[in-house]
Amino acid sequence: MNNTEKYTRPAIRDERTFHNIAMVLMIILALYCLAPFFLMLSVSLSTEKALSTGGYSFWPKEFSGAAYDYLWTKKFTIGRAYALTILVTVVGTLSNLLLTSLFAYPLSRKDFKARNVFAFILFFSLMFNGGLTASYIVWTRVFGIKNTIWAYILPGALMGGMNVLMVRNYFNANVPYSIVEAAQIDGAGVFRIYWRIMLPLSKPVLTTVGLFAALGYWNNWTNGLYYISETKLYTIQVYLKKLMDSIQFLKSSDVAAESAALAFKAFPTESARMAIAIIAIVPILLVYPFIQKELVKGLVIGGVKG
Amino acid sequence: MPNLENKNSAQTAVSQYDDILKSRKKSRRANEFRKTIPMLLMMLPGMIYLICNNYLPMFGILIAFKKVNFSVGIIKSPWVGLDNFEFLFATKDAWIMIRNTLAYNIVWIILGMIIAVFVALCMAEISSRRIAKVIQPIICFPSMVSAVILSFIVYAFLSTSYGFINKSILGENAINWYASAKYWPVILTIVHFWQSTGQSSIIYMASIGGIDKGLYEAARIDGASKIRQIWHITLPLLRPVMTLLLLLSVGRIFNSDFGLFYQVPLGSGLLYSTTQTIDTYVYRALLELNNIGMSSAASVFQAVIGFVLVILSNWLVRVVDKDNALF
Repeated sequence: MNNTEKYTRPAIRDERTFHNIAMVLMIILALYCLAPFFLMLSVSLSTEKALSTGGYSFWPKEFSGAAYDYLWTKKFTIGRAYALTILVTVVGTLSNLLLTSLFAYPLSRKDFKARNVFAFILFFSLMFNGGLTASYIVWTRVFGIKNTIWAYILPGALMGGMNVLMVRNYFNANVPYSIVEAAQIDGAGVFRIYWRIMLPLSKPVLTTVGLFAALGYWNNWTNGLYYISETKLYTIQVYLKKLMDSIQFLKSSDVAAESAALAFKAFPTESARMAIAIIAIVPILLVYPFIQKELVKGLVIGGVKG
Repeated sequence: MPNLENKNSAQTAVSQYDDILKSRKKSRRANEFRKTIPMLLMMLPGMIYLICNNYLPMFGILIAFKKVNFSVGIIKSPWVGLDNFEFLFATKDAWIMIRNTLAYNIVWIILGMIIAVFVALCMAEISSRRIAKVIQPIICFPSMVSAVILSFIVYAFLSTSYGFINKSILGENAINWYASAKYWPVILTIVHFWQSTGQSSIIYMASIGGIDKGLYEAARIDGASKIRQIWHITLPLLRPVMTLLLLLSVGRIFNSDFGLFYQVPLGSGLLYSTTQTIDTYVYRALLELNNIGMSSAASVFQAVIGFVLVILSNWLVRVVDKDNALF
């Protein structure tokens, strides 16, 4: 009780109230962050009749799994979109990690004379860009990636300059140069050192970069919006986006929305729409508890430099 | 003559020595070459990507100074000088999108900092670490979902005929949200902070976690209340991070979150006056209006101002805190 004697009583009471107020506020914030997801879930589990009379609500007035049954009848379309999303995410993330670390390693080698030139090329690409119009024209006219799977993997997503710098800094700070020198004396070549020493010793930063890349690929819908018009090549996010356009069509007479509406003719009832959005969130929700620590770490580093 | 002989032998010795040095240098150079080539090879894929993804589009800037005609190709299209820019800035759209981009950014930077610091302070005050560890991932979760999902969520609240707000709260006085521009500054602000608050407070939480606990101990002994502790210890110690983030955000003040401004309002044309930003305009002019001239003019305008701002903000960061400057 030595400790309490040092402080005056009001001060302790004051601190306790503070702790409690802070906790209540943050619990409210957490509920506020979760509530919208709950609304979506509730809508997806409602009957169509209840929705059309009572509108969307936080608790289904009449429970029904009909929306998910309906999605099951569409399993080939949705399954294809899902499979494509997974393919894009896996291929994209692995290539991203490979390119990022391959580029970062020489930048970290002090005996690599040209490293300043390459570092500048990288820096400059971070500061200045041609903008959407120019890169759209380059990717479609020069490389012809319209309506190919590359449209999801390549533009703007494959290697981020900030990630390269992050990995390089990690190499510099956490892999002692003496290890590299020792390996060199033992006759290890540059590739072997990269593959056998740098990569295994940099798992934490590679995990963070990989997770952000994977999240980016999973959530990417803009590349689909710019470059994809073929229904077969819809990822789950693009599918959802087009679904939203088809709702829009009910209110406007926009040509783009009209074609979208035709593609989804007779689709989805209100609840089925929310059900499919839920299905797109579920994978993130499932892995989130395991990866959130890594993501937070990345955010702290990226927060300043991002 | 012995002298001369001596000199000769000395010369041969020197030249021999030179040869040895030269060959050593050569082998060293060969050695370096052996090391450099693989490193260049390693950077090759990344370099190719940078050229395709970043550097070729930089030349694409020239498009803004041309009247593009795809039937003759971009290269043969005629130069028109600053015409595209003149057309762009003669429209009402130019003023609207610049105003919106700047206004949203400025308000959100300031408001965002206050909210993020406040949340971080509250999180640090939670006495049960267990509860804090549960809350933190929850408030960060909204930043994990895409803008498309976000648009579904917002639609669930605002849909005219089904939406939660119209049906359960407003009832008879239902509002056609997707047709009323005046509400969107508030709606977008709420959505933005719903999504970003957790994420942006993390950096401050980390900084608060790094503050020496002895300072608070000493303040307590002196009888300082919690408010005074926060005011006189925590906030001053957070100031460097706050300044840094503020300056860095200056560099991005001409950019906007395309998904938030385009997809969340469902691209509704009735909302342009409050939801059009430079990014959404560039997209619309390019792919909805097929007006490459206007689109590239807006895009180049954004890129050039953005470049100047990044340089400026980095220079300011350098003045304040050299370690955190990008270059």
